[in-house]
Amino acid sequence: MYNHHNDPPSHMETTCGSLLSELQKIWDEVGEPDVERDTMLLELEQECLEAYRRKVDQANRCRAQMRQAVADSEAELAYLCAALGERPVHIRKFEQSTASLKKELELITPQLDEMRKRKNERRRQFVEILDQIHNISKELCRSTEDNLFTMAIDESDLSLKQLEELQRQSVTLQKEKGDRLKQVLDHLNTLESLCLVLGTDFKHTVSEIHPTLDGSSSTKNISVDTIERLAAAICSLKEVKIQRMQRLQDLATTMVELWCLMDTPIQEQQKFQNVTQNIGASEDEISEPNILSLEFINFAEAEVLRLQQIKSSKIKEVLLKKKLDLEELCRTAHMVAKAHAQDYSVEAVECGALDPSYLLEQIELQISKVKEEAFSRTDILEKIEKWLAACEEECWLEEYNRDDNRYNAGRGTHLILKRAEKARALVNKIPAMVETLTAKARTWEKERGVEFSYDGVRLLSMLEQYSVLKQEKEQERQRQRDQKRLQGLLIAEQEALFGSKPSPTKSGKKVSRPSMGGSYNNRFSLGGAMLQIANAEKIGHSSSILKKSNRVKQQTFQNQSLSSAKRNLDATGLAGKQHSFNSSNTQEIKSAPLRKPLSPVSSALLSNVNIQNGIRTEHEPLKRTPPNSKTPEATPTKEISVVDEEISTPRTMPIPMPPTPSTVSVAMQTAMTPATPCFPLGEDIEFSFEESRFGFVLPKTNLKPLD
Amino acid sequence: MTVVPQVAGREISNPPSDGISNIRFSNHSDHLLVSSWDKSVRLYDVSTNVLRGEFMHGGPVLDCCFHDDSSGFSACADNTVRRLVFNYGREDVLGRHDAPVRCIEYSYATGQVITGSWDKTLKCWDPRGANGLIGTYTQPERVYSLSLVGNRVVVATAGRHVNVYDLRNMSQPEQRRESSLKYQTRCVRCYPYGTGYALSSVEGRVAMEFFDLSEAGQSKKYAFKCHRRSEAGRDIVYPVNAIAFHPVYGTFATGGCDGYVNVWDGNNKKRLYQYSKYPTSVAALSFSRDGRLLAIASSYTYEEGDKPHEPDSIFVRSVNEVEVKPKPKVYPNTTT
Repeated sequence: MYNHHNDPPSHMETTCGSLLSELQKIWDEVGEPDVERDTMLLELEQECLEAYRRKVDQANRCRAQMRQAVADSEAELAYLCAALGERPVHIRKFEQSTASLKKELELITPQLDEMRKRKNERRRQFVEILDQIHNISKELCRSTEDNLFTMAIDESDLSLKQLEELQRQSVTLQKEKGDRLKQVLDHLNTLESLCLVLGTDFKHTVSEIHPTLDGSSSTKNISVDTIERLAAAICSLKEVKIQRMQRLQDLATTMVELWCLMDTPIQEQQKFQNVTQNIGASEDEISEPNILSLEFINFAEAEVLRLQQIKSSKIKEVLLKKKLDLEELCRTAHMVAKAHAQDYSVEAVECGALDPSYLLEQIELQISKVKEEAFSRTDILEKIEKWLAACEEECWLEEYNRDDNRYNAGRGTHLILKRAEKARALVNKIPAMVETLTAKARTWEKERGVEFSYDGVRLLSMLEQYSVLKQEKEQERQRQRDQKRLQGLLIAEQEALFGSKPSPTKSGKKVSRPSMGGSYNNRFSLGGAMLQIANAEKIGHSSSILKKSNRVKQQTFQNQSLSSAKRNLDATGLAGKQHSFNSSNTQEIKSAPLRKPLSPVSSALLSNVNIQNGIRTEHEPLKRTPPNSKTPEATPTKEISVVDEEISTPRTMPIPMPPTPSTVSVAMQTAMTPATPCFPLGEDIEFSFEESRFGFVLPKTNLKPLD
Repeated sequence: MTVVPQVAGREISNPPSDGISNIRFSNHSDHLLVSSWDKSVRLYDVSTNVLRGEFMHGGPVLDCCFHDDSSGFSACADNTVRRLVFNYGREDVLGRHDAPVRCIEYSYATGQVITGSWDKTLKCWDPRGANGLIGTYTQPERVYSLSLVGNRVVVATAGRHVNVYDLRNMSQPEQRRESSLKYQTRCVRCYPYGTGYALSSVEGRVAMEFFDLSEAGQSKKYAFKCHRRSEAGRDIVYPVNAIAFHPVYGTFATGGCDGYVNVWDGNNKKRLYQYSKYPTSVAALSFSRDGRLLAIASSYTYEEGDKPHEPDSIFVRSVNEVEVKPKPKVYPNTTT
């Protein structure tokens, strides 16, 4: 302060001195007392002191502030230096001694500014790099704690080292990012090729994993999760691919097998070239687009199925043929196919219950077995045929022997006689035949350990039965002979008594005849019984032969039975008529007249009449019922009764008009007149109940009114 | 001869819901095949009274028959002929006619299926092969009924025609005949012993015919009246819907729209038995393979058009030998 007023003090002293001398002068002039003067001067001095003290205080305060500012600046500078990792600038030490506070401050301020600027610059760099790191790690989906740690800028450490560290980090992250991207792209490539082969939609598959991967957005998600999912997707697709490949290869193998089996033409095979070409390929060799798509596999599968169906139908055909062969073989060898027949039914094969090839094998086996057996049987079979033929002859002969008119001369009798002669010779041979057959069959059975069966019946039992029957027959014959002898004796006695000899044959004839004509007679004759042992087919055959030979006899019998039939018929017809006439209880009527035919009707004349009646009843009653009449119940009864009365001439009978509406009677008459019975085919077509119910054709008068 | 009122027999549970067109016993078991207007074919096990299977068709089924015990055939009004495999519930179409198929038979002699249709044809099918049709044979009229015995086929059509074929030579009929009955033919069935056939008409009458064309053979034929009722002095005549021959005795049962089943002895011209009346028309009859059971379809046959009627039902009755055995003829020497 003193420095400031280097020049003026003299001036100031002068002014103060001059002012004091001026004041002295004034006081002198005024004559102020000394006391007054002293007080005044003291006052003045004190005021001056006050002013000085104030200024000093002020200056003091200002200095303190300045020092504070310098200290603050220095502290900040030091802090900044530390933060930036630079050597702290020691300005103050040497300045303190030399320079004033202001200079110091002047010196420090630009440095501080500089430092601040640098710090801001550094901070910006940090923010930038941290941002980068943050972004990358976000892309990499690093854990968030990790992020927070790096994210907060540590204001106290902005050193270059730290920066470098961060930069290094950023670079590694970037590298990782690149790696990841490459991995993802790799995965995507693999996936795309897989999808292509499998024929699935690549974009869809990929966007399911992450929507950014389908190529539409520029950045792709490369998080670990995504990569894992990609890998999983690839893995599963590969599995699918292997599965499908195996399926396809299986199909291809089957297909080629079937082709070979069925000689499928090359042109047909060509279509499935791409199925079979991969038959031996490994998984990664298959890269053709869509080669493993579901459609393609289905396509191949359908073909295989088709081929298999063809195959199975062919096998079935073969099977059926073989079955027929087997049956035929069995039939010719008179073996029972049933013994061999398993369930060869086509249904079982169709439904997969049985393996057709196994069946085929079985059937082949059986055919060979049957063939072999048949071969071994031929010898015996021949003998059996002969024996059966002989039996037939025997049978015929027996019938023939019963015919008492056999010696009556007539056309062809000589032939029959010749046949009988032959038959007798043959019959004589039968026991020998049976014996040899038995022996042969025995040895055969012994050799093979199986029963020899002829059409399912054991041959030995057949032979045995035959001998038993024969024996019985013989006994019966013996008995009859005895009886006849007795009868002869009796007759002779009578003759001796009365001189006349009734014919003994009549009763015998009556006894034997009817048994021959009936439809079941064969079973009563020895040969027939024999033949019955054989199976049904055989029976029909032999019986027809018998019938042929017995034609003449049967004819006569038929006539006989016919007449009785007619009688019966007449009786039933009569019963019906009475029924309508009397309108009495059904039970009663049915029972009464039906018994009639059983009562003896001896007169030939009567039977003749009855035959006529029979014919009439067959046709006439039909004519009576009016075809078109809507109320047939109303009229016919009376008519019928009329007819019943006039049995002999139905055609000329008068028709009494019944008391019914004229329309009905007209209808009746039209029904009566036609000579040819074709009235239902008149102008309106007839329909059955089913047709009219179904509405088959527009029904007109389809229903015949019946009740 | 005696008419003893008897219970109708066991009723089969789960019967078809509409008219029964035919019922047939299997040749191998007590299985019963039933075709119906409700478009179904059902298979029952009669011994246990269980519905074993059901096949639905495109139209009313007019007839059905067995192939073997595990499969059968059906004739459908949707013109198709189908083969049904029972165990697997499978069915396939053997072929078609140009009109509803009325009747179907399987020939064991030739292994063929024979169908008759309202398209006036008879067709033979091979049930095994893919192209099943063996031949088509034109008939004078719509086929109404069909029966087989051995190699013979008897075809009865509208217009009262009857054609007899030999299955081994189907090029033309062996015999062309006219029904000896004056009215529409309802049913034809061959004698089991193969000498002829019985033919029934809508007018309560059955004709017994013989294949033998000689005078002697033809002289045996006759016709008789049945399924009639006398009411207040008027004769009411009913159609004879069904004929079934007994497999053992050769006697036969007839069923009519009067709801009665009669058993006849054709040789002796006697009625053996009459069963008690069934609720409605007897539409079909079938004896089991051994003749011990008789299945009776009691089902309205629409002879009077659409009208309220009793529910359709199937009865199975065990047959007493007395009811079906011919009354013994007196054979003078039965000992031999």
